[in-house]
Amino acid sequence: MTAEVLRLERIRKSFGSVNALKNASMTLKEGEVVALVGDNGAGKSTLIKAISGVHPIDGGEIFMHGRKVAITSARDAIDLGIETIHQDTSLAPDLSIARNLFLGREPVKLSFLGVLAPLDFTELRSSASALLKRVGISKKLDADATVNTLSGGERQSIAISRAMQFAAKVIILDEPTNNLGVEETHGVLRFVKEVRAAGHTVLFITHNIHHVFEVADRIIVMRRGEIVAERTVADTDLLTVESLIMGADMSKLLRDKQVH
Amino acid sequence: MTAVAEKLEMRSERWRGLLASPQFASLAILVIVLAAFSAVNPNFLSPLNISNMMAFLPELGIMALAMTLLLTAGEFDLSVGAVFALGPVIVMLLAQTAGIDIGVALLIGLLVCIAIGAINGLIVTKIGISSFLVTLSMLLIVRGAALYITQGFPLKSWDQPGVFVTLLAGSFDLGPFKLYVSLWWFIALTLLCAYILNYAKLGNWISAIGSNRNAAVARGVPADAVKIWLFIFTSVLAGLAGMISAFRISAASPVAGTGYELEVIAMVVVGGTALTGGRGTILGTVVGAFMLRAIRNGIVLIGVPGLAFNIFVGAIILVMLVLHALIQKRSAWR
Repeated sequence: MTAEVLRLERIRKSFGSVNALKNASMTLKEGEVVALVGDNGAGKSTLIKAISGVHPIDGGEIFMHGRKVAITSARDAIDLGIETIHQDTSLAPDLSIARNLFLGREPVKLSFLGVLAPLDFTELRSSASALLKRVGISKKLDADATVNTLSGGERQSIAISRAMQFAAKVIILDEPTNNLGVEETHGVLRFVKEVRAAGHTVLFITHNIHHVFEVADRIIVMRRGEIVAERTVADTDLLTVESLIMGADMSKLLRDKQVH
Repeated sequence: MTAVAEKLEMRSERWRGLLASPQFASLAILVIVLAAFSAVNPNFLSPLNISNMMAFLPELGIMALAMTLLLTAGEFDLSVGAVFALGPVIVMLLAQTAGIDIGVALLIGLLVCIAIGAINGLIVTKIGISSFLVTLSMLLIVRGAALYITQGFPLKSWDQPGVFVTLLAGSFDLGPFKLYVSLWWFIALTLLCAYILNYAKLGNWISAIGSNRNAAVARGVPADAVKIWLFIFTSVLAGLAGMISAFRISAASPVAGTGYELEVIAMVVVGGTALTGGRGTILGTVVGAFMLRAIRNGIVLIGVPGLAFNIFVGAIILVMLVLHALIQKRSAWR
């Protein structure tokens, strides 16, 4: 049986009088891709922000490898091995690829100087170049090139590679295929499969149900701040998942439409 | 392609990048400006005129260095000109009216600057009001405070010789040039800021915060703390520049530094730092500071009427900004 990596129990989060998360519970296992789906306002973003430390939770418990943990900041999440790649916001476009790859974890010399410590450029460049080769991005990229010279797909690949580089246990992808062309989307989805093959656990947030069926092992459905269903991809179909998202029987709706 | 050829190609690519960089464009324009002024009036490059320019340059240049770091982090500070006035006014009031030791007075003056910077930073980061509005309000508060406590009259500055006067406004001869110690302050702070921005871990954070704050925060970068410290650093350097100026001219005026905030921001953006954050260059700022001072000085020397003076300064700044925007677009197309 595959080992549990991350477990959430009865997570609650409110913003004023709005209950964005109501007792959300779920478990992620080693080496699986789990899709988190739901309509706008279902609570997907709030849930991943809670896991990644952007919004500390109001109640509930988080466990990593069975051990209870507290996540109150992005740094806590990163230190626990949870890497989140937000849509369009995971890289700094004006920085070089190498500097982006190591942002927040810069290799330095004379570390006693703290934030004033000089960057170890040799280590920075060699690790970045090695990573770029591993990623296998078709276009030859210089680690010193700024990110704003890259395509959307290349940016996502680099952000995901960065998470892999630091041996993240859980990689959260927030709408990774948004605003990407067809070819680039397939590149990113292929990359997600590689991430799983390398043993990482992926939580994949998307609005595109077709992408879910292409890469996910399991699907978790959220509605109005609650987790309402959980299915393995092998045991469900597109229409069922859409019905669960909408909270209505889609096949009945389609039948009715055909009758009329 | 062999590894050696690949390396050579990357190196030549980097050189091409450097030549197309904003700071190189600013440097080229500076050389043209200097050559043009000296061609029209040979006195422009005379030791006396250069000494004159170099007396004033470090005071604005020091503020521009701090502003470069702040702008790179995506914020700016309009209160620097007012802090430039208030810092020395407080020091001189404490030393002359209250009879406090000049060293202690300087320390209190710097603490006031730290407090101003901290208030700016805390309101911008914790309450989320734009730095334009916060520092504009602070400009009015600080300038108003300087005017009120002096009743609008300039204070006679500290004229007794001593270690602080030597440290802040001492002068020395270098061949035919008469220079001030403030030049050493400017050089030392330039090296420090260039090191921070280009080589230190902090510089990577500053650029990342300005380029994409959410990405930096998601990577665990303490964006708010960095910004608050940068606001403090900017205020402290504005106060220091004000004290240098007050000691040099032996007067602390409550209206000193009026309009400096815009001149300092102009120096920074003319040098190639992006007003929108993410891209900063200390070398560019030094070039920008030289350029603006040279233009102000040269325009007078070549006989442009005083009232037309700002037309030329504004036009040259505009040309530089258009040039930087074109360079930026070109590099995005490549």
